Amino acid sequence: MTGAVVVTGAARGIGRAIAEKLAETGPITVIGVDVAPELALSEHVTPVQVDLTSPDGPSIVRETVEAADVPLVGLVNNAGITRDARLVNMTDEDFAAVLEVNLGAAYRLANELAPSMSDGGSIVNIASRAYLGNFGQFNYSMSKGGLVGMTRAMALSLAPAVRVNAVAPGLISSEMSMGIPEEVRDKMVAAIPLDRMGTPEEIANTVWWLLTPLSSYITGEVIVVGGGRSLS
Amino acid sequence: MIHWAEQVGESWQEILGALTQAFELSRTAAQAEQSIVFVLRQDDLLGRRGPGNAMVATGLLSAARTAALEGSRKGWTANVVAYDEDADREKVQAWAEMLLETGDVTGELVRVGPGHVGKTLP
Repeated sequence: MTGAVVVTGAARGIGRAIAEKLAETGPITVIGVDVAPELALSEHVTPVQVDLTSPDGPSIVRETVEAADVPLVGLVNNAGITRDARLVNMTDEDFAAVLEVNLGAAYRLANELAPSMSDGGSIVNIASRAYLGNFGQFNYSMSKGGLVGMTRAMALSLAPAVRVNAVAPGLISSEMSMGIPEEVRDKMVAAIPLDRMGTPEEIANTVWWLLTPLSSYITGEVIVVGGGRSLS
Repeated sequence: MIHWAEQVGESWQEILGALTQAFELSRTAAQAEQSIVFVLRQDDLLGRRGPGNAMVATGLLSAARTAALEGSRKGWTANVVAYDEDADREKVQAWAEMLLETGDVTGELVRVGPGHVGKTLP
């Protein structure tokens, strides 16, 4: 795999692990949207600081890809936020913020970049196991479910040139999961058959595989990486 | 509350508008401890009518599953009915009403018509 891969939300956690994996396994130019400062020093990484929910955010990313002057072979829509509350208490603002970042930005960026992707390119959308339902996350669950629908529709519309898949992480050791109270997190881990949280690197490995020709006959799928939690 | 998903185009604002409407109706129903049923097209769960309709349909399915978890503590339910294009709309509505009235089923996707057979599980 040679060319450029755009990774959003690359400052920390899963997005950072994906960018690092790509930078290590090159020859790849990683266009990192909101990238970690240390990673931005890599010769394989081109950082872009942009608000993807702004009207010109996606076009700024496209212009950066064009300036890199290498074929665009991949896009990883990873950027995401949470604003948790029970449905009865969820505010309009928290609902809209999560939908705009997790779904709207991904949709608009995919639309902006898909026309310039190379044949054999691959889009990976980072959903969440919460698309199967998760207490207190009506907005987040809806946004990640929406990403699944977007994945299927774009898999059909962009075939055969570009493949589109989603990865749905379970409980991953990251800044986002560290915000969960410890006693709640312990209960969540106890319900995972593999008896631990996943690591960002384990998600990055799956994403990397979906970006490469090793997964060349897979499109429109959702791969849950959750330690078996969907069964327990 | 029975909510039939709107058909949308490809503009993000239109998609967000449809999802926001469903959220507002759901929140009102939840605050009144009333059950929720979303009704949508089976084709849209598979992404066959474009990303806009797909994002609305799968977004509502996921939201219903989350609402089902929250409602189960209060005694109300949340479900989804997905129908084939040629399905009798009155029969689809009847399934939605049945799910609304029984408190026994929650977090479920009921498909009216055979269009899902052999396809991916949403």
